Amino acid sequence: MYNNQITCFKYVSLISLMLVLGGCAATGYGPVVEDLSVPARASERLPTLPSKVPASIQVTPAPSAPVVTAKPKAYVAPKSVVTITAQPVSNQVVTVIAVPENASVATQAAPSAAQKPPLPASDQAVVEQLLTEADQLKAQGKVTEAVIQLQRAQRIAPREPKVYARLAALQLSLGEASRAEQLALKGLTLVPNKKSYQYYFWKLIGASRSNLGDSQGEAKAIAQAAKYK
Amino acid sequence: MVIGVVALVYLDAQIRHRFEGHRWSLPAKVYARPLELFKGQKMAAGQLDYELTQLGYRWVKHANAPGQVQKTNQGMAIYSRGFRFADGNEPGVLVEVSLQQNTITGLRQPSGAGLALLRLEPQLVGGIYPAHNEDRELIQLNDLPNGFIETLLAVEDRNYYSHYGISPWGIVRALWANIQAGAVVQGGSTLTQQLVKNFYLTDRQTLWRKIIEAPMALLLNVHYSKDEVLEVYLNEVFVGQAGKRAIHGFGLASRFYFGQPLSELKLHQVALLVGLVKGPSYYNPQRYPKRATKRRNLVLSILAQQNLISDAQKMQYQGLPLDLTGATQVSRYPAYMDVVRQQLQQHYQASALSSHGLRIFTSLDPWVQHQADTAMVEQVLKLNQRHGKIQGLQGALVVSHRDSGELLALVGDHNGGYAGHNWALDRSRQVGSLLKPVIHLAALETGQYSPATIINDAPVSLQQSDGTLWQPQNYDRKSHGKVPMYEALAMSYNQANVRLGMQVGVDKVLQQLKKMGVDQFIPAYPSALLGAVEMSPLQVNQVYQTIAGNGFYSPLSLVRQVTEANGQLLSHFPFAVRQAASNDATYLLQHEMRMAAHYGTAKGVYQYLPKQQQVSAKTGTTNDLKDSWFAGFSGQHVATVWLGREDAKPTPLTGAGGALHVWAQLMQHLAYTSYKDIKPQLIEYYHLNAKTGKAMPNNCPNGVWLPIPKVSAPAFNKTCGY
Repeated sequence: MYNNQITCFKYVSLISLMLVLGGCAATGYGPVVEDLSVPARASERLPTLPSKVPASIQVTPAPSAPVVTAKPKAYVAPKSVVTITAQPVSNQVVTVIAVPENASVATQAAPSAAQKPPLPASDQAVVEQLLTEADQLKAQGKVTEAVIQLQRAQRIAPREPKVYARLAALQLSLGEASRAEQLALKGLTLVPNKKSYQYYFWKLIGASRSNLGDSQGEAKAIAQAAKYK
Repeated sequence: MVIGVVALVYLDAQIRHRFEGHRWSLPAKVYARPLELFKGQKMAAGQLDYELTQLGYRWVKHANAPGQVQKTNQGMAIYSRGFRFADGNEPGVLVEVSLQQNTITGLRQPSGAGLALLRLEPQLVGGIYPAHNEDRELIQLNDLPNGFIETLLAVEDRNYYSHYGISPWGIVRALWANIQAGAVVQGGSTLTQQLVKNFYLTDRQTLWRKIIEAPMALLLNVHYSKDEVLEVYLNEVFVGQAGKRAIHGFGLASRFYFGQPLSELKLHQVALLVGLVKGPSYYNPQRYPKRATKRRNLVLSILAQQNLISDAQKMQYQGLPLDLTGATQVSRYPAYMDVVRQQLQQHYQASALSSHGLRIFTSLDPWVQHQADTAMVEQVLKLNQRHGKIQGLQGALVVSHRDSGELLALVGDHNGGYAGHNWALDRSRQVGSLLKPVIHLAALETGQYSPATIINDAPVSLQQSDGTLWQPQNYDRKSHGKVPMYEALAMSYNQANVRLGMQVGVDKVLQQLKKMGVDQFIPAYPSALLGAVEMSPLQVNQVYQTIAGNGFYSPLSLVRQVTEANGQLLSHFPFAVRQAASNDATYLLQHEMRMAAHYGTAKGVYQYLPKQQQVSAKTGTTNDLKDSWFAGFSGQHVATVWLGREDAKPTPLTGAGGALHVWAQLMQHLAYTSYKDIKPQLIEYYHLNAKTGKAMPNNCPNGVWLPIPKVSAPAFNKTCGY
């Protein structure tokens, strides 16, 4: 009520002001105002500019954007051929056989962090730092942020198998078994002579296939892993 | 009276609508990938300087504030600005970067402590604007540098904080000042009035507009606080035009003219920006530096007159240069931004993109993009000189990161800009010999072939479904007899490759292509083997990405993350792969393509690259030289180049005579890290007599080392003879 009175008062005073100013505009103040805007300023504008707020812009409080869990449509190039986007990671945690990178793959001894297979010397500090940060983020429940850190590490050390190992393990723990399996398969191409990694990746592939219900594939992976034990 | 009230209520609603709209309509900001510096990192010559310039860093004697960089004995000291990334906050830090021959040898903080990684803030490369191309970078009052408000008010509206939205006294004073000076030196309309005028400014200045301007200013003054109005004014004011892009607000103006955030500006720069309000194109500092300097110095004089600065300070600032940025400004990265926009429109409403201030983090690599643009422009110029003007020559270039599949750069036409067509993805052309590696991959996948397998390059004649005969010939119109498979690829022999493709089966080859990301329906005619298949450069790059990725398909991506204006993560695009070919077969193919680059049709790349740099590549030329293609990869990058005429008429260019040069110049200027493809366990190198496919002693002349699956190890001859 009080506010209304104030508003009301403002309007009354404004109306009187407006009447006064209407007079002003007619008697020369208006042109003065315009002159002072300097000819240059008025002509700066592109004459073709439409009204400043196009209909396409709506003033709404929040973007109607997908959240991380949403599954966006795959991007299709104009010729509708190349799919450019991957699907976003799902952050729903499905109950799966977790593969903690430091402990064991599925059941038993995988390369432990203590073993630390040698990394390319120049990149070691930075990769280790990013992997540690990813671990911390994951421990805080910030899984997406952890994935982002691992992808950062991947860009910096693109052929570092440890990064693939972590990415795959993280995806598996998120229930993305198919994605985990593929990442581990790619990881294998980086480690033709590194037994501990071959063992680790095959175990992870086995666990992924188990999750996918592919028992034959799982058996093959376990047999492969056995070769590198 | 009643009409007055009705009009007032109407005006009131209008002005509030406009004001609120302008407060909240913010284009999404698009960022390039941030540059990450770490020990051991290779930079291209000139890259670090370029990136820092693009980011608006200033070279100073002693770096002591964000945005500054200083030369040191070891390299340089960079004071980064700090940035809020999708994965967390990166604080601004002062770090000494040691460099030796473009390799970073260490990062050190002033305390002496080492640092593993320095992530610079990402370059803001554009916004997603609504149709009218207005651009702005929202600022708040506390983003303003020292002296900004004082300067603005001193010049534009001295009594801003005490008037009612209009200022008759200000008009009188301005009039008096102008009479004294004999010229228009001061404006009399208040900032509030200027803002109202901005809201409604069109080319038609109607009487009605003039009449309503003053009451609207009063209404604004009633509804909103002085600070709120000022903030909108700061973001609304028009301060320049860059092509089609209108530069609104001091935040963007600061980026545009100085390449720096507004908060970093010094008083002489502030004076220039404030001075520009009077006439951004008349005083355009890039086009009329003298005029702009004069205007700036006048603003500084006004500050001194009003005792805001001393005469000594005035002289000091007036003596400084304009300090404009050296960074590239005009409509950067149009082809790349085009794809970003298209991709985002799949996920977000247009209104969200143009008004909610979303932050889009992309993988655009400003250095790679710069080199890609340069290579295209320079080589097209050279080709036009060499062959006489090639009418309507167009080009496209796609560059992606070898391991992540992220798109780093896109060139959509022959001069780096583009109008209408983005040739990198809107147009598909026949790919010619670029398809041959897919034939080889399909063959190698069967396990029945190796690079040493002998193929007959004798003439072929195939009956097509309509009964006509298809008799493809070699480019040199000769037959080369029995040749090993690697040679058939390296020399791009049509007859041998068609025979190989027919042995494997056209359908198998096309299935392989499909696995590599080409989804469109392609009829299984034999002519497909020689690339009678239309693909865009982007698609071709996707196919070669899979070869480079050891047989793993990763969808080309360019948006890493999308966050809200406050940093809240909205979307994230995780790295994903899908196996499309075995690692063994892909490795053998990579080797064949390496030989194409070392000895075959692609060998021209080594006019540009050091011999020890390993690249795998393939030329592509279509019938009558309509299309000149080149695709391949180094240890770090996958790139595809297409050149051809807009009207698809013949050019004088083969793949090796045209597109190769663009590709090789680009690779020459990208950071090169020594790299060797990783040999799979079940593959071994053998020293072979290429004519017989039999292994022979290492010291035999004319032998060739080839990778072959161990299971099909060649027979060994103890002598060099047959």
